[in-house]
Amino acid sequence: MTEATPTPPAPKPSPAPAAAKPAPAPKIAMPTPVLNHSAGKLLTTTRYWPTELWANPWASPNYRRGALMLAAIIGGVLLTGAAVGELSRWGDKIYALIGAFVASQGWPQNTAEGAWILLKALIVLHVILINGLWAIWWERKISAHIQSRVGPTYSGGFHGWAQTIFDGIKLLLKEDITPDAADKWVHALAPGIVVAPVVVAFAPVSFGTQLSAANIDIGVLYVFAFAGISVIGIVMAGWASGNKYSLLGGLRAAAQIVSYELPRAFSVVPVLMLAGSLNLEAIALAQAGYWHGLVPRWFLFYPVVGQIAFLIFLIASVAETNRTPFDIPEAESELVSGFHTEYSGMKWSIFFLAEYGYVLLASFLLATFFLGGGAPPLAQLGFIPSWIWMLAKALLMMFIFLWTRWTFPRLRADQLMDFNWKFLLPWSFANIALAGAYLLL
Amino acid sequence: MIGYFKDVFSGAWAITQGLLVTLRYLFKPSVTVHYPDEKLVPFEKFRGVLLFDPETCISCNLCVKACPSNCIALENATNPETKKKIAKVDWYSIDFGKCNFCRLCEESCPTKPKSVWHALDYELVFNKRDEMVRCWKAGFPIIGKYFDRKEKAFKDPEGQVPIHSVPPRHLG
Amino acid sequence: MKTEERPKELKSDSLFVNLGPQHPSTHGVLRVGLTIEGELITKAVPDIGYLHRGTEKLAEVRGYHHCVVLTDRWDYVSAMPNNLVFCLAAEKLMGLKIPPRANYLRVLMCELNRIASHLLFFGTYGIDIGAFTPFLYAFREREMVLDLFEMCCGARLTYNYIRLGGVMADVSEEWTAKTKEFLGYFKPRLDEYDTLLSFNPIFLARTKEVGKISPQEAVNWALSGPNLRGSGILYDVRKSDPYSSYEEFDFQVPLGKEGSCWDRYFCRILEMRESLRICEQALKALPPGETMATGVAKIPKPAPGEAYAHVEGSRGDLGIYLVSDGQASPYRIHVRAPSFMNLAILEKILVGNKVSDVIAILGSIDIVLGEVDR
Repeated sequence: MTEATPTPPAPKPSPAPAAAKPAPAPKIAMPTPVLNHSAGKLLTTTRYWPTELWANPWASPNYRRGALMLAAIIGGVLLTGAAVGELSRWGDKIYALIGAFVASQGWPQNTAEGAWILLKALIVLHVILINGLWAIWWERKISAHIQSRVGPTYSGGFHGWAQTIFDGIKLLLKEDITPDAADKWVHALAPGIVVAPVVVAFAPVSFGTQLSAANIDIGVLYVFAFAGISVIGIVMAGWASGNKYSLLGGLRAAAQIVSYELPRAFSVVPVLMLAGSLNLEAIALAQAGYWHGLVPRWFLFYPVVGQIAFLIFLIASVAETNRTPFDIPEAESELVSGFHTEYSGMKWSIFFLAEYGYVLLASFLLATFFLGGGAPPLAQLGFIPSWIWMLAKALLMMFIFLWTRWTFPRLRADQLMDFNWKFLLPWSFANIALAGAYLLL
Repeated sequence: MIGYFKDVFSGAWAITQGLLVTLRYLFKPSVTVHYPDEKLVPFEKFRGVLLFDPETCISCNLCVKACPSNCIALENATNPETKKKIAKVDWYSIDFGKCNFCRLCEESCPTKPKSVWHALDYELVFNKRDEMVRCWKAGFPIIGKYFDRKEKAFKDPEGQVPIHSVPPRHLG
Repeated sequence: MKTEERPKELKSDSLFVNLGPQHPSTHGVLRVGLTIEGELITKAVPDIGYLHRGTEKLAEVRGYHHCVVLTDRWDYVSAMPNNLVFCLAAEKLMGLKIPPRANYLRVLMCELNRIASHLLFFGTYGIDIGAFTPFLYAFREREMVLDLFEMCCGARLTYNYIRLGGVMADVSEEWTAKTKEFLGYFKPRLDEYDTLLSFNPIFLARTKEVGKISPQEAVNWALSGPNLRGSGILYDVRKSDPYSSYEEFDFQVPLGKEGSCWDRYFCRILEMRESLRICEQALKALPPGETMATGVAKIPKPAPGEAYAHVEGSRGDLGIYLVSDGQASPYRIHVRAPSFMNLAILEKILVGNKVSDVIAILGSIDIVLGEVDR
């Protein structure tokens, strides 16, 4: 019994361990148990049982603070949007300023045009980059609260608002590992190919009434065409990683994204028929006005046609962005993150940037196609600028994306295909017919 | 045909209900504790880190026999004059690398109050292997000391602070 | 699996994939060698032994009281039945008479632990299928059960609560009140689980018609617990060979219909409801009296002989075979670990399924590697 115990280190006979006669032990004060509390507040009474907590949530100061926070965040985002939108009023002045400056220097007129386009591209690029920063934080907070957690709380002081920024810094500083088995060039190129199209695709997206970087007449086609490119990057990532799981993920992604392009495009056809244009701003403008002065003439509220088109477009958009319930290319529990298993550091975060870019793109498209773009839901609310409405609608759509992600399980690859080809696609065709009937009536 | 639509609608309804469940929890208070900032005090009977009191120990070896993983060792004190063993402990050690936290030693301890008992501390961390073997001798604090083999000296374990707001020994 | 067993020359269209030992969905350190063609499995070989700790051998040099501590480590998510089965076998050898209150407390703890264990299954199965949120919900509720255990015995996972001759400690009034509070809280949560996951069309599509085990197969492969009952075979040790006064409780044994993943899953959900019923009855009829039998030796030396005891653990028929040679430690113990028995059928039912189904089936079998490898 005792031999297996490590003998305690050389217990030298202490100089005077005991007196000549072991006196009866003096009544010593009972030593108290110890609890290491060098940092932190001890919660002696609360056990945080949901039964106690949920009885009256408003009694808890944490809950009140959380509600306040939610209001502050939504208000803050909308105000930021408004501020950015207000700046756009100066667009013409800035353009005139650039033109005057170019003329005074005697440079060719193309220079002003080029500088102006470059400026707009820079602004749109920032929309995507900053969206990545806050959307990830937003997703983490939403998912946390859905799951009775709190999510990031420390970075930045206020409910972890700076978490993504610090994460980004960490990812930038991380070692970039390329596996030995990887196809080096393709491996390095893939994140770029995934993220570039989403930036380009944002060009015709309008951020409010008459507020887009480029007013293209075939805007819808342009957006879909560019958004479809990213699948190449995903397949490249899956193939080049030299990992069997990644390969499976890449192949699944190819099948999925290419398939879901179809219902996604076809579901918009009724909208195009009703609006009579491929221009995103024209589509938004076609939804102006109210029925009986009450219900806005948004395509979402067109009976049957609008709702079917909306649902199909929403579902297909979720599938396009590889999010649950259609996240089979990533499938954490099956393929260990699928195509981006072997990516680390900034390359990995670029995939995330692209994902959230696509989510934002889909949100704006949903708002433009079905929710009337920058139009207010009530005529009386018209005094609020259009970009606030646009942003609010896009945020609402984004919330639906997050909400579904944290509610549903994942479909299997073949069920996903079944759902697409046997359900969504026929219904999107039927919907086109319905829209035709609607136009005839 | 009717069955098809029924399936579609019942599926959609089930999905909507699932969404409503998560939406409801979105607005309920979260149940988590911000651990390093807030710490739960375990229940009274919690089996945390073992403490030892060399003053009350009668060196009866019952805890050594009760331990399933042989992690306790002790040595009787001897009367320096008669060289006979007396009912006092000279040194006592517990190897927390092996400890099961099963409370068999505390239950077997015959003294009153218990000489070895579980405290409430669940934050038992070690920076070195030496720290895992905690030793007690006459005059050592209840949380014991560990023997640094490099420096050949007893040292205080790092990161344990006594507090006085938690009720004392559960048994005895 | 040895290296020779790997296909030497891979065909152009088949791929050998190692699922595990480091994989998020193997629930520990199981490794499954999959040969896949596209997404289809053509061969699956489960490989175990990464968590072997030799507790059966360790028990041969330890006293009977010490062995109870070892049993905690087999199925670490439901350790109460492990404690119980060893104590039952040893008590058979020693001829101890257990006081009724101790018996009721044993039943109560085992059923609470079954709830905790099935909650863990529910949560991890949700993750396997891709839903992350049920996991957190399940853990929120499981935390309450663990709090109850912490309150009555001091530990949250390795309880060492059920001892030879009874239980370690009596429960307090506060504990009973808290348990009632939990039972009242937990019932509506089960309904929520059903809306959130059990009857979600996506979940149904993923688990119905997948990994079917016919009743014949289930018996032949010696399945037990919810895996057997999911195939529609009525076998529950609590009913067929009652122990610890289970015969005094009124409860149903839920059965599945076709033995698919969903049936096995839903059996567990229904079992949680039945466990709730048992807990309520046990709390209501908790007899007064002692919680420890008299005359339990400090160092028991049972007469030479052998004993077999089995209980309905959270994962199935958990049995223990104990041989004594009259010494202070058992001569030999052998554990019939339900996870280990249930695992063997993987080899058969994985073949012909998709890669995603592997996860669904593996999750529905609900193994704990601590018990598989012992």
